[in-house]
Amino acid sequence: MTGPPAREVKVEVVGLTKKFGDLLVLNDVNFSVAKGEFLAIVGPTGCGKTTFLNLLSKLIPASEGQILIDGSEADPKTHNLAFVFQEPSSLPWLTVSQNVEFGMLIKGVPPGERERRLRSILDIVGLADCANLFPNQISASMEQRVAVSRAFATNPDLLLMDEPYGQLDVKLRFYLEDELLKLWRELGATVIFVTHNIEEAIYVAERILVLTNKPTSVKAEIHVDLPRPRSFIDEAFIDIRRQVTDLIRWW
Amino acid sequence: MNPDTRLKDPLSLRVTPWISFIGFFVVWQLLIDTGIVPRILLASPAEVGQLFIDKLTNPDPDGAVLLTHTMVSLLEAVLGYVLSLVIGIPLGLLMGWFVVAEGLARPPFEMIRPIPPVAWIPLAIFWFGIGLTGKVFIIWACGVVPCVINAYTGVRMTSPTLIQMARTYGASDWQIFTKICVPSALPMVFGGLQIALALAWTTLVAAELIAANEGLGYLITMGRRLLRPDMIVLGMIMVGLTGWIIGNIIDRIERRLTAGLERGGAAT
Repeated sequence: MTGPPAREVKVEVVGLTKKFGDLLVLNDVNFSVAKGEFLAIVGPTGCGKTTFLNLLSKLIPASEGQILIDGSEADPKTHNLAFVFQEPSSLPWLTVSQNVEFGMLIKGVPPGERERRLRSILDIVGLADCANLFPNQISASMEQRVAVSRAFATNPDLLLMDEPYGQLDVKLRFYLEDELLKLWRELGATVIFVTHNIEEAIYVAERILVLTNKPTSVKAEIHVDLPRPRSFIDEAFIDIRRQVTDLIRWW
Repeated sequence: MNPDTRLKDPLSLRVTPWISFIGFFVVWQLLIDTGIVPRILLASPAEVGQLFIDKLTNPDPDGAVLLTHTMVSLLEAVLGYVLSLVIGIPLGLLMGWFVVAEGLARPPFEMIRPIPPVAWIPLAIFWFGIGLTGKVFIIWACGVVPCVINAYTGVRMTSPTLIQMARTYGASDWQIFTKICVPSALPMVFGGLQIALALAWTTLVAAELIAANEGLGYLITMGRRLLRPDMIVLGMIMVGLTGWIIGNIIDRIERRLTAGLERGGAAT
């Protein structure tokens, strides 16, 4: 077993199962995420990725199984969860900086600390110049960066990302993925990143879970031990890509 | 919304509205002066203008100066209108988000909703006489309906993504209501305010036509009784003008409160 060096377990998913009536969507999903790990999950379209994330964030209840964060049942009211959606989710009536602050406001972060984190994150993602603009005055990619910043600003125990860059073009994606990695490294969050783009997954993640078609379970787990910044034409990168592609050839 | 999509021709844009505006009055005056429309049926703009100046200081023949009539109507309208906002908007917002509020408030609301506001006038006279209270009641009864409906619809139209987003951050139901649903319903609420205003103003004049001893509607009625078309037209113009001014004030407040939502929709 060539696992990563032993790290503290942050999230543990045990026998997670979801049924909608008779339809079995998730079937006995088991995995764990280490503290500060960047985990990517790839799966075919319609395999229940969104259901999976909704379960993880407790937006919908599971039929069976458990999600444990630091050993206790996950709960958005007590645990610090953050979710970056695929579609734009900034509040149109708030400015960029008010949007970034929103998560912290709900979490009850004190004003001084809020201000400090806001400044530092706006600096990292380069949104300081647009701090006072409204979402409809900035581009779609910037709006997504606002959502990512809002999530990181809460110092989440677990950050869930549902194809956050799925609607952006390739060049912007590279840029934002680098920015995401920078945030992740500097702020040390535990991230679960769902995508159907294999290259994106290999580029950002330390470990990749490959899901099966519905009813979904974990088909395989692949460790990505490549140095960063990673290159798409690197021998080892292509190797892993081939490995993942083979696993999902039947998509 | 976007000024660039409009043909840029500042001169004609500035001139044409004035041509039609002045033209309207010229044609009107000519119709009277040439006798095409007899004076007994319609007053000329000059006569109306004269009466306007006269009525600023002269309470005859209807018993009050123009300002008094206007203020009476305005007071009735504003009181009834504000009451309908204060009750209708919170009610509609709560009904949109909290199931219990909807369950409790919906049946009585649905029963009252189809009754045209003017149908309340006879009962209102029984209950409150022809004074201020009755008018305020009638205006409230008609203004509250669009306030409730629009506030309710506005909350129901809140993007599910935004609600989910707040939920994942651990927001309570009340926080989601106040921080997500209410602001996102604001444009609909203001739409409701405009509808309520138009309704309130129309209904007020109807009420004053039937039962009043002061107010712009009363001025119009007196004009009919005294066979004075100039009084009728003056009353109509004052009703229109006042309504237009109130509408503009609401518009201005709306634009200030919905800054982020008003800037021509989302960028893509």
